[in-house]
Amino acid sequence: MKRYRYLLKKIGWSISTILFVLVLNFFLFRVLPGDPARAGIHDPRLKKDAIEALRVRFGLDKPVINCFETLNPIKLGDCGVNPLDTQFFIYLRNLTQGELGISYHTNRPVADILVERLWNTILLIGAGQVLSIIVGILLGVFAAWKARTPIDYGALITGLVAWSLPTFWLGIILLFWGSNNGFPIGGKATPGTSSMPFLYQAGDIARHMILPTLTYTIVYMGEYLLVMRSSLLDVLAEDYILTAKAKGLNTFQILKDHALKNAMLPIVTIIAINLGFTVAGAIQIEAVFSWPGLGGAIFESVGRRDFPVLQGAFLLIAVSVIAANLIADLTYSYLDPRVQSE
Amino acid sequence: MNEKRSFPVLVIVFALILSACGGGVQTQPVTSPEEPGKPAATQPPPPPGTPVVLRIGWAGSPDTLNPGTAVLSEAYTIFALVYDTIYEYQLDGTYKLDVAESADVSDDGLTWTFKIREGIAFHDGQPMTANDVAFSINLYKNNGDYVYLNAYTANFDTVEATDDNTVVVTLTDPVPNMDYLLSYLYIVPEHIWKDYAEAPASTEFENEEMIGTGPFKMVEYRQNEFVHLAANKDHFENPPKIDEVVFQTFESQDVLVQSLKSGQVDMITEMPATAVETLKNDPNVQVVTGAPFAPTVSDIIFNQADPDKCPTDVGGLCTGHPALRDRNVRLALAHATDKQKLIDVVLLGFGSPGLTLIPDGLGHWYNDSLVDYEYDVAKANQILDDAGYLDTDGDGIRQMPDGSQPLNFRVHWPSDSIDAPRLAELLSEMWSQVGVETELQAVDPDALTAECCPAFDFDIILWGWGSDPDPNLLLAVHTTDEIPNGYNETGYSNPVMDDLYVQQGIELDTEKRREIVWEMQRIAFEDVVYVIPYYEQAIQAFRVDRFKGWILDQDKVELSDVSSLVVIEPVE
Repeated sequence: MKRYRYLLKKIGWSISTILFVLVLNFFLFRVLPGDPARAGIHDPRLKKDAIEALRVRFGLDKPVINCFETLNPIKLGDCGVNPLDTQFFIYLRNLTQGELGISYHTNRPVADILVERLWNTILLIGAGQVLSIIVGILLGVFAAWKARTPIDYGALITGLVAWSLPTFWLGIILLFWGSNNGFPIGGKATPGTSSMPFLYQAGDIARHMILPTLTYTIVYMGEYLLVMRSSLLDVLAEDYILTAKAKGLNTFQILKDHALKNAMLPIVTIIAINLGFTVAGAIQIEAVFSWPGLGGAIFESVGRRDFPVLQGAFLLIAVSVIAANLIADLTYSYLDPRVQSE
Repeated sequence: MNEKRSFPVLVIVFALILSACGGGVQTQPVTSPEEPGKPAATQPPPPPGTPVVLRIGWAGSPDTLNPGTAVLSEAYTIFALVYDTIYEYQLDGTYKLDVAESADVSDDGLTWTFKIREGIAFHDGQPMTANDVAFSINLYKNNGDYVYLNAYTANFDTVEATDDNTVVVTLTDPVPNMDYLLSYLYIVPEHIWKDYAEAPASTEFENEEMIGTGPFKMVEYRQNEFVHLAANKDHFENPPKIDEVVFQTFESQDVLVQSLKSGQVDMITEMPATAVETLKNDPNVQVVTGAPFAPTVSDIIFNQADPDKCPTDVGGLCTGHPALRDRNVRLALAHATDKQKLIDVVLLGFGSPGLTLIPDGLGHWYNDSLVDYEYDVAKANQILDDAGYLDTDGDGIRQMPDGSQPLNFRVHWPSDSIDAPRLAELLSEMWSQVGVETELQAVDPDALTAECCPAFDFDIILWGWGSDPDPNLLLAVHTTDEIPNGYNETGYSNPVMDDLYVQQGIELDTEKRREIVWEMQRIAFEDVVYVIPYYEQAIQAFRVDRFKGWILDQDKVELSDVSSLVVIEPVE
């Protein structure tokens, strides 16, 4: 019963956070300065009626919300307009139908663009996460096991250096190294291979993934290694580990049956947080390696003031971060039942 | 319970490690043929029958394949390859007939008759007739929200196909540059576009199949990844010698350079000036520089808007420094500007000194008879002294002749500009030698548009224009009519200039029109409407060990122009 209430409470919090983000996300992009219909087009060929037609196409001819024509500069408007004929409620109504608007830059539905980009990002960051979790945790456990030996110090320094490397810098170094060693340095696949057999395509994509995945793995592996090591060292200092040793269990048994599960809690936290941000992509890595993912889309859209794409991407990231945190909370209550009672 | 649960976890972990290793092993054979460390040139030649693919790297991607809504130049590069037009613009700055055999204009200049070549087919096999040509022009004409192409049809009254080979265009007013206007009106198939001829379908249509008649046909387009084209070997005039072209998008110019050096692409359409020296030392690479196909102009905008004639009804504020409305001050600033130093420092030498808004890349429209104001600090100081701008309080800054305020100018530039910060600092230093103080500030581009025009709420802005091959649009920027529209960015107003602008817009004789256009440049130059620091050059590069035959001897540099792509062939 307690667990049930805990679940409901967490889910309720998540839903209300998402609702808050929905509203904030809308107004955030309405208080930014400038005229989005003319973003990036400073050209005498763009006549007044063409600008007006662009405003109609993107729904900018309607008031932002009742009483406000625009928010930057703040221009008061008619409070009696039909709320369903304001940008805010059109935005909400479209959201319920899964529509996120039309990109100013490409004229395509934002939802299509984001879905296309999302899979590329999940592929790249997913592979990077899995690899860095595995390598990081294994090295962390190994370092803690061999605590205060040269192996431990070596792992500690490796972890610290890896985690503090600037991602884009590491990416550029690997890019230069890779381009001289025959690795593809940009894009997701060799153009023109989409008619090739599936296995060939998979191999081609894997080849393109090597450098960006390696960059991602090195950086995040450092984080997991450090957290895992220190958390396991804490646990290994507990009295019940001493008891286990006194019972005559060997080190492997102690680690596997007694220490690891308790040491996993902090790791679960950062994995969950990182997974949430996976959707955002690693903006720097995607930009360095020209990877057509969400991070790249955000990077480009900022430069072009493509607000609908940014708005959609922010929403997607917010929802996935909230969802990942919810999952983390639920996993906690499973790993450590004491959490529920707090 | 505990043990059971932890066991599968470990199994999964190991399975993942195995699969990860497996992935690594699988990829090995794929990478090894690339021969790490060796340049691509040493690869064995591909077996016969393999298509000859030209790989182009660029740092952009078309925004859309719909010609009506496209804004970016990358999209127009693709349009020029896949579509044909009635007239085609060439690298030497002239136009030639493309799908039309002949063009006749009536004596009053109002009726143009084009004979369309027979036997042209669209990429899907359907024949192209005069109906398709007329349909296409009407498509651009009827869609008011087509960002650019609609503007080219502004003077078109009717467009009709009178038979299968004849298109008649009637105009509301004679135009002197019909070839230029028609060179952007791409011919699309009526049998496909008829369902998308009207809004909103006309702007929503993504046109991914992109059926045209041009020398290349669309194979596959992935936005921000690549554009894959195949040769149209049946093209009536320009069947390409290569089989395929791939434009691959890289996020930065530095990566482009690296991909060219390592042989992953054969040509790059842009690169940073800083990389030129390294690439010049690479025996497999040739760097080409020169006036770009689409010229760009950097301008130093002086706010000359008169507060008494401020366009207040469209938000005009006209807060510009009064000194900038005095030609003497602008002239002194021109003499105090060392353009060669600006080019050497900001562009690393890859530019030519600017005169007016009409750049050297515009061929014969560019008035090369003008002699630039020499860089002469003493002369600049003399001009200001004579005009009464004296440093009365001895702080090193000159005052207005009436002593009301010092010559202290706000200098703003768009925050997304890479070159402007360096330009601004150099100008600030140069102008300080003549007793002019500047306050430098980067401003968000939207905010800059808002303060620029028609608000005229600034002193000096460092900005620029991209130019069409025809001077008409950049000349319009000097006219009084464009002040309330916000395209006249200086507030400069001169009735003589306005008259000349109208005249060049109706003068059908090219030579006479050129004279008017030159005269307008002379006036703009004499009045020091702007100081134009430089015209930037295009920098491109290609691998000499992959393809030969690039067109390099023309006035303009554009390796991805259709004229090059249809004649290049692989190096044996």
